[in-house]
Amino acid sequence: MKKYLQIFKLSFQQEFAYRLNFVMWRVRNILQIILLFFLWSSVFKDPQTEVFGYNQEKILTYVFGILILRAIVFSARAVDVAGEISNGDITNFLLKPVNYFKYWATRDIASKILNLGFSVFEITILFLILKPNLFLQTNLLTLFAVLISLTMAVILFFCLLFITNMSAFWMPENGWAAQFLFIAIITDFLSGGVFPLDILPLAFQKVLYSTPFPYLLFFPLQVYLGKIAGLEIIRGLATAFTWVFILFMTVKFIWAKGLRRYSAEGR
Amino acid sequence: MDRAIVVDRLVKNFEVTEKEKGLRGSIKSIFSPKRKIVHALKGISFTIQPGELVGFIGPNGAGKTTTLKTLSGLLYPSSGFVQVLEYDPWEKKPEFLKQISLVMGQKNQLWWDLPAIETFELNKEIYEIPRRDYEKNLEELVTLLDVGKLLKTQVRRLSLGQRMRMELVAALLHRPKVLFLDEPTIGLDLIGQQKIREFIYEYNRKNNATIILTSHNMDDLTNLARRVIVISAGQILFDGALEELTSRFAKEKIIKVSLSEEVDIKTIEEIGKVKHVLFPEVTLSVPRSAVAVAAAEILQNFPVNDLTIEEVPVEEIIKKVFRGELNK
Repeated sequence: MKKYLQIFKLSFQQEFAYRLNFVMWRVRNILQIILLFFLWSSVFKDPQTEVFGYNQEKILTYVFGILILRAIVFSARAVDVAGEISNGDITNFLLKPVNYFKYWATRDIASKILNLGFSVFEITILFLILKPNLFLQTNLLTLFAVLISLTMAVILFFCLLFITNMSAFWMPENGWAAQFLFIAIITDFLSGGVFPLDILPLAFQKVLYSTPFPYLLFFPLQVYLGKIAGLEIIRGLATAFTWVFILFMTVKFIWAKGLRRYSAEGR
Repeated sequence: MDRAIVVDRLVKNFEVTEKEKGLRGSIKSIFSPKRKIVHALKGISFTIQPGELVGFIGPNGAGKTTTLKTLSGLLYPSSGFVQVLEYDPWEKKPEFLKQISLVMGQKNQLWWDLPAIETFELNKEIYEIPRRDYEKNLEELVTLLDVGKLLKTQVRRLSLGQRMRMELVAALLHRPKVLFLDEPTIGLDLIGQQKIREFIYEYNRKNNATIILTSHNMDDLTNLARRVIVISAGQILFDGALEELTSRFAKEKIIKVSLSEEVDIKTIEEIGKVKHVLFPEVTLSVPRSAVAVAAAEILQNFPVNDLTIEEVPVEEIIKKVFRGELNK
């Protein structure tokens, strides 16, 4: 266990070694949030308006919620795995008594904590400037469900990230493009990062709910907003858990196959 | 345990995708990739005793690095048997990994943006080295390699030679019993090379560590390796003492003659290939089988002060190995 604690400490230091990168990433997040804030505030000018079951208060909570959830779920260092595979740096880990998944999970947690810290700070500032009406969930049981769905969201994203990244075992040069397409565009869109998924056609929503994507951002946030309750929560958590299981097994399977394929390139 | 490393009929094939040149070739390779099987190792066998220091030599692409990678568990053998310290390397058991180390001259494990000491501390935890051992090992390695003042310098700011020495510290903190060194002196200046060599020698002697070394540096081999394995095109051509390399592969012997008076060089050229003339010394190279006859002929027909018959220097043979000029 101590080895992962040490990795955790180094990850923190490493993040600070690239301060500018980190700051730009945060700036991007803030700009995005301001954009979404003004977009939705103008749609819901009248606090009494309700569209797709959202009033001004709830849509603004959604926008702010997404900011925090992104920091928790999407900030991950494991995007570097593809690079490590194609340039051969993964060799360093295969030679040591260290678990590669735990290594990246540790680095991800460090990254998440750092990002979360900053987004709480940013939100406080934005909150003070924009003074929005936010919805506070007080039901403890609901909050507990949020916590569970969030944990699963983190694991789901970790698995998805690893699966995409491990394609580098077979196509060392295609890693980056696949990731960009997959993570930056598709995942963000399908998980509700751009707009709430329940404004989409119902048939489309149904299909979407059987994929792992909504469980990354949308589902935990819906639970928090109280838009999903009771049996629906249980059903959602069950689907998410099934995906956690399926993706976890997929990761293990591809890893075993990929390692045999690995040729430790770059000499 | 009487054998540290056992390799038996090891075969490793790679599948590679070939790309034609230019943009057109790149696009073509996306839709119909041309695959080719590369036979990197064609059934090699050897064993190494604990404490041996063995040099692996051969031309580029002969399969040296592939062998080291297979022995350290990075590559999955296509067929054949591999055993290191009685473990199957591929299983990557922590107990096995704690006893080996692979150092590649062109790869680094140090965290690029942090001082080297941070990587050392991390390795201490990863290999679960007790604090007291860690401090003792670190102190010893740092002194031997003379890098004490650089521990807190960001790795990216170190010179190549300094970094290579730090790499060695990182790779040896856990005192591996088996050490694979792939081109450890590549790109270093003469003093840097010398330091690394002395260090390897000491490490081998002090810890009775088993070491396999690949190198293109003649001095690495002649100074360190008592036994060499010559590998070429995935096959072992020779496995034995460094000195035997000459008798096995040199088709010629060297005759050195010291003459008492000047003679016409052309007449000597009829006896053997004249390699060097600096009167009164003449150096000839003659086929092994004809050496006795040639010597007798010289003694009979020329005014000779002194005559010696020598083997071709081992360096010449090793040069030939690197150029891939040796055959079975």
